[in-house]
Amino acid sequence: MKKIHIIILVVIAISIAAIMSTVADSSTYATFSVALNNEGDEYHVVGKYVKDKGIEYNPEQNANLCVFYLKDNENKELKVIYNGAKPQDFEMSEQIVVTGKAEKGVFMADKILMKCPSKYNNTSDPSKTTNSSDT
Amino acid sequence: MNIQYIGEHLLPGQFGNLFLVLSFTAALLSCIAYYFASNQNNLENNSWKSIGRTAFYLHGLSVFAVMGILFYIIFNHYFEYQYVWQHSSKSLPIRYMLSCFWEGQEGSFLLWSIWHVILGFILMRKTGNFEAPVMTVFSSVQVFLSSMLLGIYIGDYHLGSNPFILLREHPEYMELPFVKVPEYLTNLDGRGLNPLLQNYWMTIHPPILFLGFASTLVPFAFAMAGLWKKQHNEWVTPALPWTYFGVMILGTGILMGGAWAYESLSFGGFWAWDPVENASLVPWLVMVGGAHVMLIYKSRKQSLFTAYVLVILTFILILYSTFLTRSGILGNTSVHAFTDLGMSGQLLVYLLFYVVIAAFLLIINYKSINVDTLEDNSTSREFWMFIAALVLLISSFQITFTTSIPVINKLFGSNLAPPTKVVEHYNSWQIPFAIIVALLMALTQFLKYKQSDLKITFKKLIVSLSIAIVVTAISIFALELYNGFLIALFFASFLAITTNIDYIFKVLNGEIKKAGASVAHIGFGMILLGALIATGKSRVISQNTSGIDISKLGKEFNNMENIMLAKHDTLQMGEYFLSYKGRRIEGVNHYFDIDYFQRNEKGKYELAFTLSPIVQTNPRMGNSAEPDTKHYLHKDVYTHITYAEMEQHDETNHNHNNDNGYKPFTSATMAIGDTIFGSKSLIVLEKIYKETDSLKYHFGANDIAVGATFKIIDIHNKVTIANPIYLIKGNVANPIDAEVENMGIKLSFKNIHPDNGKIDIDLSEKDTGSQEFIILKAIVFPYINILWLGCVIMIIGTVLAIRERLKKSKFNIA
Repeated sequence: MKKIHIIILVVIAISIAAIMSTVADSSTYATFSVALNNEGDEYHVVGKYVKDKGIEYNPEQNANLCVFYLKDNENKELKVIYNGAKPQDFEMSEQIVVTGKAEKGVFMADKILMKCPSKYNNTSDPSKTTNSSDT
Repeated sequence: MNIQYIGEHLLPGQFGNLFLVLSFTAALLSCIAYYFASNQNNLENNSWKSIGRTAFYLHGLSVFAVMGILFYIIFNHYFEYQYVWQHSSKSLPIRYMLSCFWEGQEGSFLLWSIWHVILGFILMRKTGNFEAPVMTVFSSVQVFLSSMLLGIYIGDYHLGSNPFILLREHPEYMELPFVKVPEYLTNLDGRGLNPLLQNYWMTIHPPILFLGFASTLVPFAFAMAGLWKKQHNEWVTPALPWTYFGVMILGTGILMGGAWAYESLSFGGFWAWDPVENASLVPWLVMVGGAHVMLIYKSRKQSLFTAYVLVILTFILILYSTFLTRSGILGNTSVHAFTDLGMSGQLLVYLLFYVVIAAFLLIINYKSINVDTLEDNSTSREFWMFIAALVLLISSFQITFTTSIPVINKLFGSNLAPPTKVVEHYNSWQIPFAIIVALLMALTQFLKYKQSDLKITFKKLIVSLSIAIVVTAISIFALELYNGFLIALFFASFLAITTNIDYIFKVLNGEIKKAGASVAHIGFGMILLGALIATGKSRVISQNTSGIDISKLGKEFNNMENIMLAKHDTLQMGEYFLSYKGRRIEGVNHYFDIDYFQRNEKGKYELAFTLSPIVQTNPRMGNSAEPDTKHYLHKDVYTHITYAEMEQHDETNHNHNNDNGYKPFTSATMAIGDTIFGSKSLIVLEKIYKETDSLKYHFGANDIAVGATFKIIDIHNKVTIANPIYLIKGNVANPIDAEVENMGIKLSFKNIHPDNGKIDIDLSEKDTGSQEFIILKAIVFPYINILWLGCVIMIIGTVLAIRERLKKSKFNIA
């Protein structure tokens, strides 16, 4: 066996390992009911901020804690506790992706990705959402 | 419906459309003519070739005309055109007009196209025998790019998106009532350029990045020509300087993107592994690998197949990254998320077309190009260069795979989301790759082609090796690098710097002109080193210590990286004391002025610097925060606002409730010289005196007024004097309070104890809860300047390498 063949095998092995690690590290898009059934597992949940219930944020007490309600794509509402500062323009967001896990009936988010009306968008047309949701 | 619209300028648009169609047909003609020209043997008198040339010139001029017209309508605010209305406005400063041009998808395709035209013009004249096949590839790409701007319907299919479409004819706006009014233009203003993009980065970054994209077409075209015309040996030499050129320009574009993100977007760093960043990094990595394998082929006539694959892959990956960023498929994973203009199908066709053709040509030529595989000698330079190229390829494969999760979902109907800890995910793979690449960069130049004597090589390396070991050992303690991978990367990248410096002096005798490769490697080593220290040792200094402990909510739930700072309040943050002075509003920008104080040797607080991070108001697209950074030679202090109330804080509002917003803080009985502590000040009773200024305090001759002088020392050692008065007016005590407004402090002189000379004092402080506040995040990036200096050095190195290649190359290109 020539060295080049060994090298090729190593390359293939690393590539497979890279694919597997991506799959292993990746989280899943899910709804709240899935997250609640699998407490402790990481999920991405896409939903809309429930405006009527407001957002609770008291920076004097804790600048890194906000609590709000999110309605997922199955219209299920859940309390979300987010470990971070209230994002600027939170109320304006059209769609929110929260990353985290369900614990004791609430969703603990450690990341929020907001889709504001066409923010960072090249074609800035508010009538269109940036993502017509692939989920 | 037949409305006579008033004030429209339809002529430029008609010319624009004419030139769009012309650019498309001319590119098509040029492609066909060059194709036939390449099949003719008589190169001197080749009529197909002259048709091809003329058609390409015509195409190029049309593209320039389209650009000129688009610029003309933007410059003249012809809002009847949807593109102008969408991307500019009357109030937009002239210096941002260029940015409007390429803000939209159509404009950026046009920009890309223009660079291809310019590169094509150069290549047409300079490639000799390669002209016909290379230009066939070039003009075929231009056929695709021009079709993206056509905006015509073929049956129901919409081909391309036209930049000259009228607002009232645009499918999304044509039903709006206002476009049915004949004089709709009279008061129409454009929607304006996204304020986020109104900065100089947006003016310089896209042209450079697109030149980088365009430059990958040149080596690709040469490779395709080589495969097609079976000139496997000939294409490498003319293509190599262009590959270096691509490495330099695309590299500059990517690094500029990083600098833009660092300076004016609040991602919290210069690299976030965002899909859009990855999409341009991956082709660059593959192109760097390709350049090295081409070099192997030039020196040793080996690894031709790999050289072909990498050069072709670079261009394919550019198309793929365009597809990723322009098709809207990244929607949920990227902050950039560009919308789909309905062209993803077209982009896919474009991508697959070249994949299929390149794969076909590679397969039919496989036997003839796979003859000289790598020789089996692991002490040769080419062996390790090849390994380095492979590492770069695997590294880009890993990045591409994770970035492509949304594509995988589309293809297989899966529901994968990107890794939750995305940065850690990428780093866990890319740091080991970087270590290997840095080691290879350090050692390979000292090996000889074919075969080297390892003893001699080791002797040459011993000095650099010792220096690197010593510096790494010291740095482990000095920088507190207690992570095996970080230590290894530190050592490897430092070694890459020292050995390459050594190489320039020992082997090249200090001849900088010939040291392009070494200089570029030094630069790249510094980029790795700088990135390692700046991100590996970055400290979020805005840790919140007060408030509820949220870590009890969950184990991993303790990422407290934001602090609240009330106006005039002072808070300790790392080694700094922060004081928020207030906001200034200039146009759409709200500047939040924050003073950073530091304690000097004498224990006094000194103003170190003032930062003014910005929140930009943007009613259409959402407000955005822009950080401000204090640059020191050895570190950066980076600050951005994570939250601020954007409605103007109404001070008067709070004055209605409890005593002008003051809350009782403390009461004390004080003698002269006594001190009481406010929440952020020291208050010393200096003296008690008989107040005689009866006019000022409105008292009569029989009344008694006693004043107390207080020295109030704030955290910055600033002294303010306050004089509350104890006034007895006709036997009724009537104290006159002293208020120090900017500190939110009020002192009331309540009583005098004549027996011991003490006085009673009430101290009230303004309730911070009713005060204006900001939430901010601050990060210290140590030694980030190594990274930026490395960027510059790497670019210089690549320029030197191009110059040297051009001298050696037998074709005189560019």
